[in-house]
Amino acid sequence: MTQDTNSSARTVLVIDDSPDVHRLLQARLRNEQLALDSATSGTSGFERAKTIEPDLVLLDVDMPDLDGFEVLRRLKDERNTADIPVVMLSGHTSPQDKVTAFDLGAVDYVVKPFDLTELRARIRSALRISSLLKMLAQRAHIDGLTGCWNRAHFDSIWPTAIAEAARHERPLSVLILDADHFKSVNDMYGHPAGDAVLEKLAELLRAECRSEDVPCRYGGEEFVVVLPETDPEAAGQFAERVRARIADVVWPKHPERSVTVSIGVAGTDGAATLAPEQWLEVADKQLYAAKQGGRNRVMTARVGPQFQPVAKAG
Amino acid sequence: MSDSQQGDAPLVSVYADDPDMAELVVEFVSELDDRVAALQTALDADDLVALRRMAHQLKGAGGGYGFPSITETASDLERACDNFSGDIAGVREGTQELIELCNRASA
Repeated sequence: MTQDTNSSARTVLVIDDSPDVHRLLQARLRNEQLALDSATSGTSGFERAKTIEPDLVLLDVDMPDLDGFEVLRRLKDERNTADIPVVMLSGHTSPQDKVTAFDLGAVDYVVKPFDLTELRARIRSALRISSLLKMLAQRAHIDGLTGCWNRAHFDSIWPTAIAEAARHERPLSVLILDADHFKSVNDMYGHPAGDAVLEKLAELLRAECRSEDVPCRYGGEEFVVVLPETDPEAAGQFAERVRARIADVVWPKHPERSVTVSIGVAGTDGAATLAPEQWLEVADKQLYAAKQGGRNRVMTARVGPQFQPVAKAG
Repeated sequence: MSDSQQGDAPLVSVYADDPDMAELVVEFVSELDDRVAALQTALDADDLVALRRMAHQLKGAGGGYGFPSITETASDLERACDNFSGDIAGVREGTQELIELCNRASA
């Protein structure tokens, strides 16, 4: 979950059939923090945009093979390029062309020959707005307290993760982690202390995650982690590492206390699949079993037509 | 013609003294000979498609390199090609005008 909205060099793809325009822009944007990429036809520009997914596209309207409006239409139809802001460059000043461009999803329309100070300002403005939109979209999926993904994010990616694994018959696991006796932490030390515990749990959880793992705060003191390419045994070991690290934490203000977690794991090595809710339910049952078994432990199950518990690792 | 520099006086880029641009302007001007030759060829053949394309490119480029009058004249020629209804004399005149302007451009 990287937020690369502040990265220094933003990529701008210029699609224009006139070499002059590319040369002028290279010269005029030299001092901006921009990496310019270029394409000299509509067709190659569209392909280039799909490949490099730039931060911004400057798109000429009047091109011989595929005109700018058609390129714009295709960019907006393609999932990976639909959100890239597009600034149209055109020699035409007719209101109809501008309306067409905006209706198709362009964020701005600049008439050629452009005043370069103005163009620079418009590029900065388009990049600024797209950063904010990206950030908003991401914020809506991030838990404010822990910085983990939130439940909405889990709900949006979990079915996709299952479909991907099923399609390629790859391993996939999910775990549910719940802090033991969390209510007593809140009751005895107050909610700020409870929040501090949740932040620490999230930190330890993230430290164990690989870049493809997706740690989410599911609600209250409950976390879920999606573990792609991970069979139930490996997921059980992952959960066990997390459990042990959390149990070992010495809490600065209350060194006499420890916080423990119970974890339920459900996964496949690629042979089986299950509906998203049912799969999560298997993990939840394992969590319940871990609680029943005395807490501070991990219980793991293999999902599939034949539901079978997995022997505890170690 | 709206340009203030008339007749055979050299046409100087408004960016001639801009350090970012000087080199590019020189390059643009040095390539204008080729464009003039291409315009002349298209003119001799009454090739409206080629004329329109070259006018369109010069329209976009001229002002960018500091020659707004090239953009203006090229824009008139592009429009004449787009709206062509038999007035070949008008197109020829516009092309001639554009060629003369390009010939006067100087870095």
